Amino acid sequence: MELVIALGMNGIVWGLIIALIALGLSIIFGLLDIINIAHGDFFMVGTVLAWFVLDTTGNYWLAFLIVPIIGFAMGVVIEYTVIQPIKNAAALSIVATFGLSIILQEGVRATFGAAPTRLVPPIQSTIQMFGLEYEVYRLFAAAVSIAAILLFFGFLHRTKMGTWMRAVRYDPETATAMGIPARKIYMITFALGFAMAALGGVVAAPITTVDFQAGVDILPFCFMAVIIGGLGNLEGTVAAAVMLAFFEGVMASFADPTIARIGSLCLMSIVLLIRPHGIFAGATR
Amino acid sequence: MTKKTKITDLKPDTPKGQTRRSFLQTAMAGGAAATTAYLGLTQGLFAKESGPIVIGHQCELTGGFSSWGYWHDKCAKAAVKLINDGGGISGRKVELAIADTESNPAAGARKLRSLIQRKKASFIVGSVHSGIMLASLPIATELKTPYFSAGEATEATGSKGSRYSFRTGTDTYALAAAGVPWAMENLGKNWTMIFPDYAWGHSHHQEHRKLIEAAGGKVNDPIAVPLGTKDLVPYLARIPEETEVLFSVFFGALSVAFYTQQKSMRLDEKMKMYSVSGTIEAIDPRDIGGATEGVYFLENFPRPLEFKNDEPHKKFIELMDVDPVYAKENGSKRVMAKSHAWQSYENLFVLKAAIEASGWQSKKDTQGAIEALEGLQMKNSLSHPQGTKVLRAEDHSGMIDCYMSRVEDSKFVLKKRIPREELMAKLPPRYDFRKYKL
Repeated sequence: MELVIALGMNGIVWGLIIALIALGLSIIFGLLDIINIAHGDFFMVGTVLAWFVLDTTGNYWLAFLIVPIIGFAMGVVIEYTVIQPIKNAAALSIVATFGLSIILQEGVRATFGAAPTRLVPPIQSTIQMFGLEYEVYRLFAAAVSIAAILLFFGFLHRTKMGTWMRAVRYDPETATAMGIPARKIYMITFALGFAMAALGGVVAAPITTVDFQAGVDILPFCFMAVIIGGLGNLEGTVAAAVMLAFFEGVMASFADPTIARIGSLCLMSIVLLIRPHGIFAGATR
Repeated sequence: MTKKTKITDLKPDTPKGQTRRSFLQTAMAGGAAATTAYLGLTQGLFAKESGPIVIGHQCELTGGFSSWGYWHDKCAKAAVKLINDGGGISGRKVELAIADTESNPAAGARKLRSLIQRKKASFIVGSVHSGIMLASLPIATELKTPYFSAGEATEATGSKGSRYSFRTGTDTYALAAAGVPWAMENLGKNWTMIFPDYAWGHSHHQEHRKLIEAAGGKVNDPIAVPLGTKDLVPYLARIPEETEVLFSVFFGALSVAFYTQQKSMRLDEKMKMYSVSGTIEAIDPRDIGGATEGVYFLENFPRPLEFKNDEPHKKFIELMDVDPVYAKENGSKRVMAKSHAWQSYENLFVLKAAIEASGWQSKKDTQGAIEALEGLQMKNSLSHPQGTKVLRAEDHSGMIDCYMSRVEDSKFVLKKRIPREELMAKLPPRYDFRKYKL
């Protein structure tokens, strides 16, 4: 029983980190209707930049500040050069972001090399958690993820820019007619999505690894969270990410690991059969 | 150097209205071109006794295996340069035709066909990616072209092998035979194996399990981790407490994640960690913050010079431009994939020996070259810096010295050399490819 609780809690911790990354994917889809295949690579860029900041400055904490800013700036450039020209063409967005994904991966491989590396966690102690030797950094990572998610929702609901973002998301034509700079909002939203994935990379880098393909495996899980949460439903995405990771963690405590993975895929299929617009579809837009 | 064709040379003329004469001219030109192309594609299958010998290299220059592929490419190029500087093979220059597999079995298999049919490669120095080499072997066999695997899946010189399939390095069968006796005696008898849920991991599990149980050890339920897993805690938590030896066979990023996360859970304080060189290949222990400290690795080639301190090894290290302790490339952060990449270097010298011994002139002489390869002896030299070895006639497998090392202060420290004679005694051939038809 102890193991079930421990792995369930670990699932929640991991789910919160995933939620931070998936939230970026969800806002990009919700506002821009872009199916962003490169989102996992935004996460990967975050891990690599975190490693780079630590390597050059010797201070890991600086990465929490610098990397999201660099991510935001990269997001602005990519939105202008890649996303804007194909706006309103969902099929093209898949091809374009797939190409972007390859460019980012191979760019990092050519610049930083192909060998995976590790970031030593800035907090190295462990605690006993229901019979499991558990890394304190993971709890810190979960706390940072919660803080970032709360900050994002605060920004979305309590600032003028956030209100504009919601307005453009709800009805872009009327918002434009009301004088809201929709073009600028699209750019900021995309850049914000990149920055959040990059921050997720900084948070997760000491837990996973730093390598040019780090984003490939994280993308399907993010998509699952976005779909189960309801496409473009931000609160739903967060809840779905945590629920999925919790479910898989609990399953893995008594079932074969592969069965646990299949179980979460089955859960997604059932949700889509019963509620094709996601488990929290009612709150969409 | 091959002549480069400019893209503009291939650009078709824009049709501006067609007459009967222009149509006939175009059709005749097309027919002539098709005939030429057909002859070009098929001439390699027939006598071609002068000009360079084309050897194909199927290599992972991009994708997940590119940190290894860089070294396989460097090794093959270095060997070709040495061979050509020394007068080539039977007085003929060697031309290396390189194909990037993109670390993808489908792309690798497609490009192998192109190497043989379009580039007219007569021999193939093959992939280190087990999936690619297993996808490639049927094609090499179909096109009657000797293929050297560099990966470890035992099937390449086992159930899926053929008369055309060779491997100078080790497979999972050999690695189990080399490592288990020492590990059982020195590390413990209660084993748990954790590996990625695909052929390579399962192959290691099956081969090791047989030997451990035969030696009186206990193997707990295996833990097969789904591919693409980022968080390993749910799987590490399932390792039984009574485990004395945790045997892991992850690759690349998943390997680093495994060492990182087991360290944070302090598993290395409770049990002995044992693995094979593929899990730490192209990675410097110093770059992963001590996560592999104390782990035992079975290597095919010791990373520091001091544990095979001879002239061929020293010269090979100079040739590769790496430092003699960590095998890191001078002036870069790349670490040599030393336990595997030597095969892409030595295989070219293996081919040189077989071609010269058999008097091979063209593809029609392939049978003679294969017969020369079967049972080929190689002596420790600059051509074979990994050491003296034999390419066993029956199963086309290299019998080599192996090295049990431990990471101490981020350095590989040799604990025991397992001589090839000792290995051969524990590794009877399970196949005899000499009985297979050419």
